[in-house]
Amino acid sequence: MRWPARLFISASALVIAAQLIRPERVNPPVHGDLSAPPAIKEMLSRACYDCHSNQTKWPWYSAIAPMSWWVYRDVERGRQPLNFSNWSDYAADPGTMNEKLDKMAKLLDSGAMPPWWYRELHPESRLTFSDRDAILRWIGVARDPHAQADSVYYPEPSQ
Amino acid sequence: MRAKLTAAVSTVAMIVMLGASASALFADDSPEIRFQGGRFEPAVLTLPVNTPTKLRVVNAGDAAIEFESFELNRERVVQPGQAITVYIPALGSGSYGFFDDLHHAVPAGKIVVR
Repeated sequence: MRWPARLFISASALVIAAQLIRPERVNPPVHGDLSAPPAIKEMLSRACYDCHSNQTKWPWYSAIAPMSWWVYRDVERGRQPLNFSNWSDYAADPGTMNEKLDKMAKLLDSGAMPPWWYRELHPESRLTFSDRDAILRWIGVARDPHAQADSVYYPEPSQ
Repeated sequence: MRAKLTAAVSTVAMIVMLGASASALFADDSPEIRFQGGRFEPAVLTLPVNTPTKLRVVNAGDAAIEFESFELNRERVVQPGQAITVYIPALGSGSYGFFDDLHHAVPAGKIVVR
Protein backbone atom coordinates (compact mmCIF):
# COMPACT_ATOMS: atom_id res chain seq x y z
CA MET A 1 0.00 0.00 0.00
CA ARG A 2 1.34 3.44 -0.90
CA TRP A 3 1.92 6.04 1.82
CA PRO A 4 -0.96 8.40 0.75
CA ALA A 5 -3.40 5.54 1.14
CA ARG A 6 -1.95 4.58 4.51
CA LEU A 7 -2.14 8.21 5.65
CA PHE A 8 -5.76 8.49 4.50
CA ILE A 9 -6.78 5.28 6.27
CA SER A 10 -4.97 6.31 9.48
CA ALA A 11 -6.55 9.76 9.47
CA SER A 12 -9.99 8.28 8.84
CA ALA A 13 -9.52 5.83 11.69
CA LEU A 14 -8.49 8.68 13.99
CA VAL A 15 -11.52 10.77 13.05
CA ILE A 16 -13.84 7.78 13.58
CA ALA A 17 -12.22 7.00 16.94
CA ALA A 18 -12.53 10.66 17.96
CA GLN A 19 -16.32 10.38 17.66
CA LEU A 20 -16.26 8.14 20.74
CA ILE A 21 -15.31 11.14 22.86
CA ARG A 22 -18.52 13.13 22.89
CA PRO A 23 -18.83 16.08 25.27
CA GLU A 24 -22.37 16.42 26.51
CA ARG A 25 -24.13 19.40 24.97
CA VAL A 26 -26.21 20.66 27.86
CA ASN A 27 -28.34 23.75 28.35
CA PRO A 28 -28.88 23.99 32.12
CA PRO A 29 -32.05 25.66 33.46
CA VAL A 30 -32.24 29.45 33.23
CA HIS A 31 -32.30 30.90 36.77
CA GLY A 32 -32.84 34.57 36.11
CA ASP A 33 -32.27 35.78 32.60
CA LEU A 34 -31.03 39.26 31.73
CA SER A 35 -33.71 41.90 31.92
CA ALA A 36 -33.20 44.50 29.20
CA PRO A 37 -35.21 46.37 26.54
CA PRO A 38 -36.29 43.95 23.77
CA ALA A 39 -34.04 45.54 21.12
CA ILE A 40 -30.96 45.25 23.35
CA LYS A 41 -31.82 41.73 24.33
CA GLU A 42 -32.24 40.74 20.70
CA MET A 43 -28.76 42.05 19.87
CA LEU A 44 -27.14 40.35 22.84
CA SER A 45 -29.01 37.12 22.10
CA ARG A 46 -27.75 36.82 18.56
CA ALA A 47 -24.22 38.05 19.32
CA CYS A 48 -23.46 36.58 22.73
CA TYR A 49 -25.98 34.02 23.98
CA ASP A 50 -24.49 30.96 22.26
CA CYS A 51 -21.45 31.08 24.53
CA HIS A 52 -22.66 33.30 27.38
CA SER A 53 -26.01 31.79 28.37
CA ASN A 54 -27.75 28.51 29.06
CA GLN A 55 -29.69 29.00 25.82
CA THR A 56 -26.95 27.84 23.47
CA LYS A 57 -28.05 26.98 19.93
CA TRP A 58 -25.64 24.12 19.33
CA PRO A 59 -24.58 24.19 15.67
CA TRP A 60 -24.55 21.02 13.58
CA TYR A 61 -20.75 20.82 13.67
CA SER A 62 -20.85 20.72 17.47
CA ALA A 63 -21.84 17.05 17.12
CA ILE A 64 -18.74 16.10 15.16
CA ALA A 65 -15.30 15.66 16.71
CA PRO A 66 -12.92 17.39 16.80
CA MET A 67 -15.06 20.54 16.27
CA SER A 68 -17.38 19.36 19.07
CA TRP A 69 -14.50 19.57 21.57
CA TRP A 70 -13.68 23.10 20.46
CA VAL A 71 -17.31 24.29 20.64
CA TYR A 72 -17.85 22.62 24.02
CA ARG A 73 -14.72 24.25 25.43
CA ASP A 74 -15.74 27.68 24.13
CA VAL A 75 -19.23 27.41 25.62
CA GLU A 76 -17.87 26.21 28.95
CA ARG A 77 -15.26 28.99 29.08
CA GLY A 78 -17.86 31.54 28.00
CA ARG A 79 -20.46 30.62 30.60
CA GLN A 80 -18.03 30.78 33.52
CA PRO A 81 -17.20 34.50 33.52
CA LEU A 82 -20.47 35.75 32.01
CA ASN A 83 -23.74 33.88 31.86
CA PHE A 84 -26.80 35.95 31.00
CA SER A 85 -28.99 33.13 32.32
CA ASN A 86 -27.64 33.84 35.82
CA TRP A 87 -28.11 37.60 35.58
CA SER A 88 -30.36 37.82 38.64
CA ASP A 89 -27.48 36.33 40.66
CA TYR A 90 -25.17 39.09 39.46
CA ALA A 91 -27.82 41.74 40.16
CA ALA A 92 -28.08 40.54 43.78
CA ASP A 93 -24.59 41.97 44.27
CA PRO A 94 -24.67 45.35 42.47
CA GLY A 95 -20.88 45.63 42.45
CA THR A 96 -20.68 42.34 40.54
CA MET A 97 -23.35 43.45 38.09
CA ASN A 98 -21.46 46.68 37.41
CA GLU A 99 -18.26 44.73 36.92
CA LYS A 100 -19.93 42.45 34.35
CA LEU A 101 -21.42 45.45 32.55
CA ASP A 102 -18.08 47.27 32.51
CA LYS A 103 -16.29 44.28 31.04
CA MET A 104 -19.02 43.86 28.43
CA ALA A 105 -18.60 47.52 27.48
CA LYS A 106 -14.85 47.20 27.22
CA LEU A 107 -14.96 44.07 25.05
CA LEU A 108 -17.75 45.33 22.81
CA ASP A 109 -16.16 48.75 22.42
CA SER A 110 -12.82 47.25 21.43
CA GLY A 111 -14.46 44.82 19.00
CA ALA A 112 -12.93 41.85 20.82
CA MET A 113 -16.41 40.38 21.30
CA PRO A 114 -17.89 38.55 19.57
CA PRO A 115 -14.59 37.02 18.35
CA TRP A 116 -13.81 37.46 14.65
CA TRP A 117 -13.93 33.75 13.88
CA TYR A 118 -17.35 33.46 15.53
CA ARG A 119 -18.60 36.38 13.44
CA GLU A 120 -17.33 34.59 10.32
CA LEU A 121 -19.09 31.34 11.24
CA HIS A 122 -22.25 33.12 12.43
CA PRO A 123 -22.83 36.26 10.34
CA GLU A 124 -25.99 37.03 12.30
CA SER A 125 -23.80 37.70 15.35
CA ARG A 126 -22.21 40.75 13.75
CA LEU A 127 -23.02 44.01 15.50
CA THR A 128 -23.21 47.25 13.57
CA PHE A 129 -21.78 50.48 14.98
CA SER A 130 -25.29 51.59 15.91
CA ASP A 131 -25.90 48.22 17.62
CA ARG A 132 -22.76 48.73 19.70
CA ASP A 133 -23.71 52.29 20.53
CA ALA A 134 -27.18 51.20 21.65
CA ILE A 135 -25.73 48.47 23.89
CA LEU A 136 -23.13 50.86 25.36
CA ARG A 137 -25.84 53.42 26.11
CA TRP A 138 -27.96 50.75 27.77
CA ILE A 139 -24.96 49.65 29.85
CA GLY A 140 -24.56 53.22 31.05
CA VAL A 141 -28.16 53.22 32.23
CA ALA A 142 -28.14 49.69 33.64
CA ARG A 143 -25.18 50.25 35.96
CA ASP A 144 -26.19 50.65 39.59
CA PRO A 145 -24.93 54.12 40.55
CA HIS A 146 -25.21 53.33 44.26
CA ALA A 147 -22.90 50.34 44.13
CA GLN A 148 -19.31 50.74 45.18
CA ALA A 149 -17.22 51.97 42.28
CA ASP A 150 -14.98 49.01 41.56
CA SER A 151 -14.09 49.51 37.98
CA VAL A 152 -12.58 52.39 36.10
CA TYR A 153 -13.70 51.81 32.53
CA TYR A 154 -16.57 53.97 31.34
CA PRO A 155 -16.61 54.10 27.54
CA GLU A 156 -18.25 57.06 25.87
CA PRO A 157 -20.70 55.94 23.18
CA SER A 158 -20.10 57.87 19.96
CA GLN A 159 -22.76 60.47 19.14
CA MET B 1 -36.55 57.69 98.65
CA ARG B 2 -37.85 54.39 97.25
CA ALA B 3 -39.31 56.15 94.23
CA LYS B 4 -35.96 57.81 93.58
CA LEU B 5 -34.17 54.47 93.84
CA THR B 6 -36.62 52.85 91.45
CA ALA B 7 -36.16 55.71 88.99
CA ALA B 8 -32.38 55.42 89.23
CA VAL B 9 -32.44 51.66 88.69
CA SER B 10 -34.83 52.06 85.74
CA THR B 11 -32.59 54.72 84.21
CA VAL B 12 -29.49 52.54 84.57
CA ALA B 13 -31.36 49.54 83.11
CA MET B 14 -32.55 51.64 80.19
CA ILE B 15 -29.03 52.91 79.50
CA VAL B 16 -27.67 49.36 79.61
CA MET B 17 -30.41 48.12 77.25
CA LEU B 18 -29.89 51.00 74.84
CA GLY B 19 -26.17 50.38 74.83
CA ALA B 20 -26.66 46.68 74.19
CA SER B 21 -29.06 47.21 71.31
CA ALA B 22 -26.83 49.89 69.78
CA SER B 23 -23.81 47.63 69.94
CA ALA B 24 -25.87 44.82 68.39
CA LEU B 25 -27.00 47.18 65.64
CA PHE B 26 -23.54 48.39 64.76
CA ALA B 27 -21.59 45.23 65.52
CA ASP B 28 -19.46 44.48 62.51
CA ASP B 29 -19.31 40.72 62.66
CA SER B 30 -19.24 40.22 58.88
CA PRO B 31 -16.92 37.41 57.89
CA GLU B 32 -13.81 38.72 56.25
CA ILE B 33 -11.40 37.53 53.61
CA ARG B 34 -8.17 39.48 53.56
CA PHE B 35 -5.67 39.51 50.71
CA GLN B 36 -2.15 40.08 51.95
CA GLY B 37 1.28 38.65 51.34
CA GLY B 38 0.15 37.32 47.97
CA ARG B 39 -2.60 35.09 49.33
CA PHE B 40 -6.13 35.05 50.68
CA GLU B 41 -6.57 34.65 54.42
CA PRO B 42 -8.30 32.56 55.42
CA ALA B 43 -7.94 30.32 52.41
CA VAL B 44 -10.96 28.37 53.61
CA LEU B 45 -13.86 30.31 55.09
CA THR B 46 -16.79 28.49 56.64
CA LEU B 47 -20.27 30.01 56.42
CA PRO B 48 -23.56 28.74 57.83
CA VAL B 49 -26.00 27.06 55.49
CA ASN B 50 -29.07 28.97 54.23
CA THR B 51 -27.88 32.29 55.64
CA PRO B 52 -27.42 35.39 53.48
CA THR B 53 -24.05 36.93 54.29
CA LYS B 54 -22.30 40.22 53.77
CA LEU B 55 -18.74 39.14 53.07
CA ARG B 56 -16.05 41.74 53.58
CA VAL B 57 -13.11 41.46 51.21
CA VAL B 58 -10.07 43.52 52.16
CA ASN B 59 -7.11 44.10 49.89
CA ALA B 60 -4.11 44.74 52.14
CA GLY B 61 -1.72 44.18 49.25
CA ASP B 62 -0.12 46.80 47.04
CA ALA B 63 -1.83 45.90 43.76
CA ALA B 64 -5.44 45.61 42.67
CA ILE B 65 -7.03 42.17 42.89
CA GLU B 66 -10.17 40.73 41.36
CA PHE B 67 -12.10 38.59 43.79
CA GLU B 68 -13.93 36.14 41.53
CA SER B 69 -16.03 33.05 42.04
CA PHE B 70 -17.72 31.20 39.21
CA GLU B 71 -19.72 29.10 41.65
CA LEU B 72 -21.00 32.15 43.52
CA ASN B 73 -21.38 34.31 40.41
CA ARG B 74 -19.37 37.07 42.01
CA GLU B 75 -16.66 39.27 40.50
CA ARG B 76 -15.28 42.36 42.18
CA VAL B 77 -12.17 44.44 41.69
CA VAL B 78 -10.62 45.54 44.98
CA GLN B 79 -8.09 48.32 44.84
CA PRO B 80 -5.09 48.29 47.23
CA GLY B 81 -6.16 49.44 50.67
CA GLN B 82 -9.84 49.08 49.77
CA ALA B 83 -12.46 46.97 51.52
CA ILE B 84 -15.64 45.95 49.74
CA THR B 85 -18.80 44.15 50.73
CA VAL B 86 -19.85 41.19 48.63
CA TYR B 87 -23.44 40.07 49.07
CA ILE B 88 -23.66 36.30 49.30
CA PRO B 89 -27.13 34.77 49.06
CA ALA B 90 -28.41 31.93 51.23
CA LEU B 91 -26.43 28.92 50.07
CA GLY B 92 -26.84 25.19 50.28
CA SER B 93 -24.10 23.13 51.84
CA GLY B 94 -21.08 22.68 49.63
CA SER B 95 -17.79 24.17 48.57
CA TYR B 96 -17.57 27.37 46.53
CA GLY B 97 -14.20 28.32 45.10
CA PHE B 98 -12.82 31.82 44.64
CA PHE B 99 -9.64 33.20 43.10
CA ASP B 100 -7.84 36.36 42.04
CA ASP B 101 -8.57 36.77 38.36
CA LEU B 102 -5.80 39.35 37.96
CA HIS B 103 -3.10 37.07 39.39
CA HIS B 104 -3.63 33.42 38.56
CA ALA B 105 -0.53 32.40 40.51
CA VAL B 106 -2.31 33.37 43.73
CA PRO B 107 -3.56 30.21 45.46
CA ALA B 108 -7.33 29.85 45.13
CA GLY B 109 -9.50 29.76 48.22
CA LYS B 110 -12.88 28.32 48.99
CA ILE B 111 -15.96 29.06 51.00
CA VAL B 112 -17.33 25.99 52.70
CA VAL B 113 -21.00 26.16 53.61
CA ARG B 114 -22.32 23.74 56.20
